Amino acid sequence: MAKTIIDAHNVSKTFNPKTIPVHAVQNVHVHIEEGEFVALVGPSGSGKSTLLNMMGGLDEPTAGSVIIDGVEITELPENKLIDFRLHNIGFVFQSFNLIPVLTAKENVGFVLQLQKMPKKEREERVLTLLKEVGLEDKINSKPGQLSGGQQQRVAVARALASKPKIVLADEPTANLDSKSAENLLNIMAKLNKEEKITFLFSTHDQRVIRKARRVITLVDGKIASDVEQTPS
Amino acid sequence: MLLKLAWLNIWRNKRRTLITATSVFFAVLLAIVFRSLTDGVYDNMIHNVVSYSSGYLQIHKKGYWDEQSIDNTFEEDEQLYQELLKNQKVTHIMPRLQTFALASYAEKTKGVLVLGIDPVKEKEVNNLHDKIIEGEYIETINDNGVVLGEGLASQLKLNVNDTLVLLGQGYHASSAAGKFRVKGLIKLGAIELNNNVVYMPLQQSQYMHGADHRLTSVSVMLDKATNLKKLKQSLQGAINSDAYEVLSWKEMMPEMDQYIEADSTGHNIIIGILYFVISFGLFGTLLMMIFERKHELGILIAVGMKKRLLAFVLLLESIMISLIGCFAGVIGGMLTIKWFMVHPINLTGDLKKVYEEYGIEPIIYFSSHEKIFITQTLVVLILSTLLAFYPGYKVMRLKPVEAINS
Repeated sequence: MAKTIIDAHNVSKTFNPKTIPVHAVQNVHVHIEEGEFVALVGPSGSGKSTLLNMMGGLDEPTAGSVIIDGVEITELPENKLIDFRLHNIGFVFQSFNLIPVLTAKENVGFVLQLQKMPKKEREERVLTLLKEVGLEDKINSKPGQLSGGQQQRVAVARALASKPKIVLADEPTANLDSKSAENLLNIMAKLNKEEKITFLFSTHDQRVIRKARRVITLVDGKIASDVEQTPS
Repeated sequence: MLLKLAWLNIWRNKRRTLITATSVFFAVLLAIVFRSLTDGVYDNMIHNVVSYSSGYLQIHKKGYWDEQSIDNTFEEDEQLYQELLKNQKVTHIMPRLQTFALASYAEKTKGVLVLGIDPVKEKEVNNLHDKIIEGEYIETINDNGVVLGEGLASQLKLNVNDTLVLLGQGYHASSAAGKFRVKGLIKLGAIELNNNVVYMPLQQSQYMHGADHRLTSVSVMLDKATNLKKLKQSLQGAINSDAYEVLSWKEMMPEMDQYIEADSTGHNIIIGILYFVISFGLFGTLLMMIFERKHELGILIAVGMKKRLLAFVLLLESIMISLIGCFAGVIGGMLTIKWFMVHPINLTGDLKKVYEEYGIEPIIYFSSHEKIFITQTLVVLILSTLLAFYPGYKVMRLKPVEAINS
């Protein structure tokens, strides 16, 4: 039996609770197992990004708890939570993910430097990751010299640098053309399959949804459906 | 890594960084040149005043300063002179016998300060001979003439070659009296001295007071830039501290020290205003740097960078921008001061007359004391650190989701 890697238990998030309350997420209960490739879908304002942020410890739920690999992150103090993210969770955001003044190699290595990984080991890991995302010839390019798709591939490499248990991706393909999106998704699917990294996407991109093996649909902050499918 | 990141960050907007650094450059340059000028003027003023009066340091018999009596004199001691001159900072020493007496000419009588001096040594230090406005300067320690302050001569209504009678108290309660030919009149800038002083060759003075080979003080002249406190301690250690006391001009003329302190405070306020103005520029730049990178800061926190590290990067950025301007300002200041040291400002016209009136050389020298440069660098460093507190505080309060969505 696969291990539960994410357990969101009765999670709710209400914005502006004292003025005009907006219930972005309401009593959501989600279990995600190790190695899953999940798409969190729904219309704009359905609460998918909010739920993703709470699962990544970027936002605090108003009620409920989030347990990642047995650690209740909603109870962690801020510095420990940042540290937890550094070692356990990789993030890929919609755009402008990278530090513009650093090269692709430095952007990926940055997380490893925060982890105080020795230089030699770090350089090897960075090179491996950039090779995996097909950017070994762009290691010294700065984000401004890369296309949107290439930038997102660097972001994926950075998200994987610390060998996280899960990667949370918020609309990673939103600003990419079809070819770049396809390419990026293939890389992520390959990593999911080969390295058993759990991927959770918040998306309304059909290309991502088709690749997912499980699709959770949120409507008005509640789970409307949670289905498994065969990726195409 | 953090240093590199901060360095690269400040050059994202080259123009803004250069403008901010330039404002720091001008502030530091102006502050250094201004401070160098005022310190140079003070140093020159002190040098001029102490060379006529106390010297930078004065050696007395222990207890003399509290009870300034001729009975508290000490024997001339060649070994003491050698000890003092051994110190490389000491440029000259001037043995003196300083007493008070009644001066009389015809029907006029006045209390005067009688300074028994070594005319040759005084000449080397303060160019006393150049201040003679009538008659001649005394040339040797046993010359039988005296030189009077022009103000005193005018009060006593006497002229060169007239005879001045002095009556005072000698060593061990003997009476000191003598008749002296007025050899010359001297015009001194210090009004009090000009109205009261009688310069007498040292041996004559000792003879008149029955105090052969005795001195009230040895005045010590130093290089202008010498650290007075340190040297005082060093000389105190070098001489017999049971027999002698060492006093600095600050202890002997506290009013002049207070005047300089007060004047200097005024200048510090002007420099403070200058820095206050440029602080706004630097602060604005720092705020812009944080607000335009809010999204990126959010991402960095999300991927695992602790907020305090981010705040530290902002602090480094603030210090770097400031130090670029500061170092350029220090180099600019050094070059400017170097030029002015080779080409000091010679005052002309009325200002020159005013300076000469007060016995101060009518030249504005610049000080190149290292403390000027160190102080300005430290001020900028402290300023940039303080200014980085607010952006740092903003980072500490940053919520990653809000920042990422900004």
